[in-house]
Amino acid sequence: MKKILILAIALLMCGQMAAQENNSSRIPTVDLKTLDGDAFSTKQMYTGEHPFIVSLWATWCMPCREELDAISLVYEDWVEEFGVTLYAVSIDDSRSASKVAPFVRAKGWDYVVLQDINSDFKRALNVVDVPFLCIFDKNGNMVWSHTSYAAGGEEEVYEVLKSLEK
Amino acid sequence: MKNSIKTLVVIALTTIMALPSYGQSKWGHIGGDFGFNGMFYIPDSTIGAREVKEKVRANTWLNLNYTNGGFSAGVRYEFYSFPLIDFEDIGYKGQGLTNYYLDYKNEFIQVTAGTFYEQFGNGFTLRAYEDRQLGIDNSILGARVKVTPYKGITLKGVWGIERKNFDFDYLHRKDYVRGLDGEFSFGDFIPKLGEKGFVLTVGGSFVSKYEKSENDMFIDYPDPLADGIIYADKIPQNIATWAARLNFGYKGFRLEGEFAHKNNDPNNTNGYIYKTGNALLVTASYSMKGLGVEASFIRSDNMDFRSQRDISASTPLLGINYIPAVNRQYTYMLLGNYAYASQPNGQIGVQAQVNYKVPKNTKLGGKYGIDITVNYARFHDVEQKLVPDAAASNMQIGTEGYTSSFFKFGDNLLYQDVGIDFSHRFNNKNWKLDLAYNFITYNLTILQGHASPLFRGHNLMGKVTYKINNKHALKLEIDHLYAKEDDGSWLYALLEYSIAPHWFISVSDQWNYGNEDRDRRFHYYNIAAAFVIKSTRIALNFGKTKEGILCIGGVCRSVPASYGAGLSVTTSF
Repeated sequence: MKKILILAIALLMCGQMAAQENNSSRIPTVDLKTLDGDAFSTKQMYTGEHPFIVSLWATWCMPCREELDAISLVYEDWVEEFGVTLYAVSIDDSRSASKVAPFVRAKGWDYVVLQDINSDFKRALNVVDVPFLCIFDKNGNMVWSHTSYAAGGEEEVYEVLKSLEK
Repeated sequence: MKNSIKTLVVIALTTIMALPSYGQSKWGHIGGDFGFNGMFYIPDSTIGAREVKEKVRANTWLNLNYTNGGFSAGVRYEFYSFPLIDFEDIGYKGQGLTNYYLDYKNEFIQVTAGTFYEQFGNGFTLRAYEDRQLGIDNSILGARVKVTPYKGITLKGVWGIERKNFDFDYLHRKDYVRGLDGEFSFGDFIPKLGEKGFVLTVGGSFVSKYEKSENDMFIDYPDPLADGIIYADKIPQNIATWAARLNFGYKGFRLEGEFAHKNNDPNNTNGYIYKTGNALLVTASYSMKGLGVEASFIRSDNMDFRSQRDISASTPLLGINYIPAVNRQYTYMLLGNYAYASQPNGQIGVQAQVNYKVPKNTKLGGKYGIDITVNYARFHDVEQKLVPDAAASNMQIGTEGYTSSFFKFGDNLLYQDVGIDFSHRFNNKNWKLDLAYNFITYNLTILQGHASPLFRGHNLMGKVTYKINNKHALKLEIDHLYAKEDDGSWLYALLEYSIAPHWFISVSDQWNYGNEDRDRRFHYYNIAAAFVIKSTRIALNFGKTKEGILCIGGVCRSVPASYGAGLSVTTSF
């Protein structure tokens, strides 16, 4: 049993490496909710025209809030320059889910804020911890992802968006 | 038999998953995550850090998911044979293939076979979820079907056996869970509603647990006169719960409510009483740009619902449902030691919060505005009047237990929190200041199980972030908790230096300077460094952890004191 398992994992690892050369992954389809409680399928994020950013966050996660606060200062410029949309997907569960809308609207964030109440989207993206931010190019391929946030980290996001223009 | 099934599953899944990844992307995509959390333990009898025979312990997992169009499959292998000691304490010890599934999804239907996670409504009747930091994983092994027959209607059905740590002997399990859930969104039927800014969704769920009862149950109590017997034929084998929910919204206003009922369910957590259970959560909120107001009322009574009736309340094991603690969650260090844990078997309370932003470009708000949050929460236990049977014999076992008037707050205050916090970025945007004050009251006797007077603490927290340049930043956090009860006052300081986006270095100390016992005024220091590249994080730390509670999402478990060096590697791909 153990040998098979090791073999299986090795096989998968190799496969994984081969697969990563393509460095492409379409966005997984998961049903989320908008701040009003309407259904929103992650498929709707992909328009085929512009790149988009997905940021997984929670109201109780300090670095997540710092990251989204920092991006909010430059978001308008990014939208203008790249036509990018940021989907801020909250993983707050039923404990704090109802606090997300008041929190976000008071902040005045202009992102499309969505709710992933039982972390289905987080799991589909294989995310271990929040904050987790990933960038999809206009063809819907994930081209970059990052976990954790340090002040100034948004600069790298900008660089990646810029590189997509080329 | 069991092993050969497992072997087959592994071979089948890996073949399905590994082969396509060698090909082109049209063959689908493999993603996953890997985690290793290890620690080298050093005994320290002064803080109660016990000796660990193996010295080094670690939790390791590998998750792999394959997707190709509407089809997906995945496996997870967990190696926790020598887990971190806090995981061992809650029985999360072992190794094996813990998750494996096949899933197909299109516009109309989703079918899952294998392990899955699922939630109905707020989770009052069913919530299969995981929290790897807490060691909770109650995924269900079985089948799930989700149907969307018409836009705006979602129907779900589940059947399966809940995961019980590393006990994979499913063939001998005598319990399983089945459930149905439906949700109807009126906005999709009556487009006019949506156009006018109305949102109306109603939903309902029904969940039933089956657990065979073959043997009479003898319940030992410390007092032999109070020992109880419940005969096998008197133990309900099927226990049903149902819930109804509503979500109404109009422009910035939103009202949400859910009510749940549970049939009689004598179990270890409620002292084997036959009382029915119920829960109600109502939340109203209003928000507009710059302002958000939210208020909630929650009551839950006898709602602890598990796959097996003999599981004790001290472990999160085999929970079928989820009753949230709706108070605000703090990330400040010292308040975390007194975080409220939800009491599914008896809590009634309110929570209210106002978020306000002093506008940008004003005299008071400066260039970037000031975020202000005011918060109030108060929870009590529920009133309990013993039923005549129980009062006569002075024991509740096998009786209806107690009665309770619905809206009456019980005599015991469990938790109270009054707080205000400010967050401001200065005109020179490189400086940011966060300030918070909280007054909390915490019932140690009920929430942590050790007899003690009510804990009252004043917490003041200040945090300054200075961005030296585009990449370098310095953060200083000072947190002070003033208290007379329990361990008295604490002081915490953290200094973090970060070089975006790769490096983090921090030193911190939690000092129990106010402990009445001068010999117990310990320092819990910690030195940590982390390196992050894309979605891979490698972290090292050395220091002491205090004995206490670890809470995530209102679910708490105790953590033993520890001392040593830790290494953590996590990656997503």
